[in-house]
Amino acid sequence: MTMLRIGARNLWRSKLRLVLVAALIGAPFFLLLVMQSIGDAVQRQTEALKRNVDNTLQLRARGSMGHVNMVGNEAILPQDALAKIKGVERVARVEPYLLAMTPTEGHNFAMIVGVDPRDTRRLESHGEAGNPKILFGRDLSEGDRGKRVAIIGQGVARWAGITPERLGGATLTLDPRRTHPVIFALDRPPVTLAVVGIYASGYVFGDMQIFMPLDTFREVYDVAEGISWLYVRADSAENLPAVERQLRTMLGHVADIISPTTVAEFQTTATAAVQRLANVGIGLAAALMVVVVFFVMLLVVRERAWEIGTLKALGASDWGIVTGFLTEAVLLCAIGAVTAAVLFGLWGGPLAQLVFGLGVSPFLPSHYSTLANSLSLAPRFGAATLAVLVAACLFAAIAGSAWSMRQIIRLSPIEAIRHE
Amino acid sequence: MSRSAVRNDRSALIELRDVSKLYRKGGQAIKALDGIDLTVAEKGMVAVVGPSGSGKSTLLHVIGAMDRPTAGEVIVAGRSLGTIPEAGLTDFRRKTVGFVFQGFNLIPNLDALENVMLPMEFNGVAREARRERGRELLSRVGLAERLEHKPRELSGGEQQRVAIARALANDPPLILADEPTGNLDSKTGEMIYGLLRKISRERTVVVVTHAEPLAATADRIVHIKDGRLESH
Repeated sequence: MTMLRIGARNLWRSKLRLVLVAALIGAPFFLLLVMQSIGDAVQRQTEALKRNVDNTLQLRARGSMGHVNMVGNEAILPQDALAKIKGVERVARVEPYLLAMTPTEGHNFAMIVGVDPRDTRRLESHGEAGNPKILFGRDLSEGDRGKRVAIIGQGVARWAGITPERLGGATLTLDPRRTHPVIFALDRPPVTLAVVGIYASGYVFGDMQIFMPLDTFREVYDVAEGISWLYVRADSAENLPAVERQLRTMLGHVADIISPTTVAEFQTTATAAVQRLANVGIGLAAALMVVVVFFVMLLVVRERAWEIGTLKALGASDWGIVTGFLTEAVLLCAIGAVTAAVLFGLWGGPLAQLVFGLGVSPFLPSHYSTLANSLSLAPRFGAATLAVLVAACLFAAIAGSAWSMRQIIRLSPIEAIRHE
Repeated sequence: MSRSAVRNDRSALIELRDVSKLYRKGGQAIKALDGIDLTVAEKGMVAVVGPSGSGKSTLLHVIGAMDRPTAGEVIVAGRSLGTIPEAGLTDFRRKTVGFVFQGFNLIPNLDALENVMLPMEFNGVAREARRERGRELLSRVGLAERLEHKPRELSGGEQQRVAIARALANDPPLILADEPTGNLDSKTGEMIYGLLRKISRERTVVVVTHAEPLAATADRIVHIKDGRLESH
């Protein structure tokens, strides 16, 4: 107990040094928290995708992509498919979508999606179940039904010159008469939509979509009935094959039934890469902590060699002295961890975005280059974070002090006299 | 070469039998102690005097179980130190020896009372008991009003008095003082010697010093030169 108390009191010998050391030890702790938050955010993203995909089937008209103005792919599902599917056993939810395309610059185009505001904003070409995060403005709501409003991906916003500052009165004009090698003209007048929100999807193509209420889509493109895509969610992933069998029997003659697989792709590419990089970052942070503690404790032991000698001469045991210094190391790490946690709470989100952009994004497949924007990297403090901090504290203190502790044991009480 | 031997007749607290200590420095063997025989009685003050490098501090380290001799036997308070394992020497020092250093060696972030209580804490003395004894010892050395002062708030003489009180904390039979006045002015030095002399009435005090006039006030003076004792 005595040495624990002395170890704790030793911290306060020099306040300036304490601040410096807390900053030095806090920096790798901060990095550790940032990397952990990145890893967690991607994990949460994956879990969200799993929840929305692994138990879901996509139906579209046989042999067609179901885009109402896409050359050779304009066939859509009959409207009564919706009611039929709702009656199938073990079906938990059915989400109807309508899709169209509009040219942007060069040979590029944006996807236009009509969706019930209560349904998942699924992103085409990406597991059909993206998890767009509203960056600015708001999402579509129940009150938007039939209104000429839209949320747009950040890619569309860039193309249309809509900035967050201008979002208040921003509009986007869709002209169904515009053509493209794969888009044919519809004899419909241009329509101006109020842009109420900008989202990030996590991948480049997902950011080139425009979501509007389903009723609005029907009006804009004059699609009185029919459905481009139907997403059928089973009550569990285990029951999905049974649901699929029933749907094939019932609608196989008119519909292609697809099991989205791109969650697996996201997991094997983005999630795995980010987790790997996050783990490397955590490893580096831990190594940095150990290095900082190593040098700090080496300095402390060297500086206080005479004190250690004196304590030994006075009858303190090696273990007692080591306990005192170890207490000091653990508390130094704890102060560094608390400092890092406070800074992380204040600036963790933006810095995690920055670290992701600089240190993770370059290593991801190019279509995930915008993944950082779609992740919720806001600081979260829970039991897991606390456990990580405590474990890191103990690890850094013990590993970083090991050499100094050895030195302490080897020091002779004669050091007390050398001081003179 | 004849062994140097100094004995006195009272019952012995310290016995050194043919003790030698060799150091290796740059491939060269240096004999810090050379076949020393010394017996020191219980109680009384012994001054060890000699020029720099004569081996007087090494002699003190060997007696205080801070260093082991290369050859010979050291018996202190009836225990042969050569037979005690390293861990046991810590216990031996805690219970048998009180050290007073030239540089005081007070723990800087502990106050005077806490410094004095420290050896008792290592010895497992209960908190209240050690606080009581710490106060009493500091009062004995004239520092009853300085209990809560940190070393930096005390003068050199006061710091050395705290160090003497600390050396007495576990009531050891032996006090070893290495140049206790080396960092003090002559007047303060005399006062510290007076204190050590007083202490030597109830236990053995061995003082290593350069200061011949102060050493002259000891009950016994042991001269050491080139690692060998010269009797006076």
